[in-house]
Amino acid sequence: MTQTNLMQASQLAVKTGKSGTPSMTSDKDQQLGKRSDSQTDSQLVRKVRNGDRAAFDLLVVKYQSRVASIISRYVYDSQEVMDLTQETFIKAYRAMERFRGDSAFYTWLYRIAVNTAKNYLESRSRRPQGSADVVDAENFDDGRQLRDLASPERLLHRDELQQALSQAIAGLPEELRSAFLLREYDGLSYEDIARILECPIGTVRSRIFRARDAVDRHIGPLLNES
Amino acid sequence: MDDRLRETLSAMMDDEADELSVRRLLSHGSPDDVCQQWQRWQQVRDLMHDGRSPMEGIDVSAGVRAVLEGRTVDPVRKKREVHKTPVRWQWPAAAMAVGALFIGFGAGAGWEYIGVVPASSVAVSEPAGVPETDTTHEVALQGLDKEQWGYMNRYLLEHAQHNSVGAGQGSVGYARLVSANDSGH
Repeated sequence: MTQTNLMQASQLAVKTGKSGTPSMTSDKDQQLGKRSDSQTDSQLVRKVRNGDRAAFDLLVVKYQSRVASIISRYVYDSQEVMDLTQETFIKAYRAMERFRGDSAFYTWLYRIAVNTAKNYLESRSRRPQGSADVVDAENFDDGRQLRDLASPERLLHRDELQQALSQAIAGLPEELRSAFLLREYDGLSYEDIARILECPIGTVRSRIFRARDAVDRHIGPLLNES
Repeated sequence: MDDRLRETLSAMMDDEADELSVRRLLSHGSPDDVCQQWQRWQQVRDLMHDGRSPMEGIDVSAGVRAVLEGRTVDPVRKKREVHKTPVRWQWPAAAMAVGALFIGFGAGAGWEYIGVVPASSVAVSEPAGVPETDTTHEVALQGLDKEQWGYMNRYLLEHAQHNSVGAGQGSVGYARLVSANDSGH
């Protein structure tokens, strides 16, 4: 990335209220959460309504961690969290016909998750162990608010994965890395990235895909171990 | 899954895929491949943004699919059913206990005696060929003199008092009534 391009990226980031420097703790993640509710979800929801179960699988995979996160604020037992997460998606699938699209899909899904957790606790005549409400759910875009249940073994594995990820990103060709990081950490659209990198949108799309592919190949074996 | 489809999937990760491409991707012959690739990229994203490894995450996709395809039961529902099982047998058990108590009380209250009365009317109207011994009780009851009726009334009064005290213990008034008849009164 040239100096001019970096300056453009910074200006763009300022314009959108975000830092231009890749950071694991910035508010860019929030943008990722907001972004995720629009086009792809709508497309997948439409497919599910037309009876495409594979589309629902993609929604499950995409949101299962976040749904589990919000349920874990009510229920502390990990097996119960898993069961309730599963039940949330089953309910969502069966209620998909009633989803009018007034709210974002993930907001609707999180409401189901919250109600599922509350009903579960009520059915067992227990008060909620944690606290969260629907408003929290709607603002709950990532899993960083989760209680950390990591065991030493998991922490070790997490470190190993983080290290592998860093190596994989560092090993990417510069043009792939720039596009990938502008997307993942800065949350910029393909159009904005194309403007910054002075290349066609199709090229940005291709570079990001190739970057993802390379990272996946590098840390894939470790992910499979999980 | 070829690179073009994988590129579409990558664009879907970024909310940049058009409708037609998504349709083409989802009509791909091997949805499992699509789902696995999608899952790995989601895991990488989780790792990048939350620092969370897949091992710390959760994967219910296979379970959800199994339930929706009817291959297994929703675990929460199953748990609830197991939880409710004692209630299921408690009701019949309670009903049986109440029924037994009621029957005991009924027996004590002389339900069988009530059954004897229509029998007597049947016996009276029976044709002449019926053996006499079968109608002896009824004739004897109907043919009581005043003294015998007085005795019977006192007896029935005592019997009712006895029932009111011993109903809960399942006393059987009928047997005593029969014995009273057998006594020749």
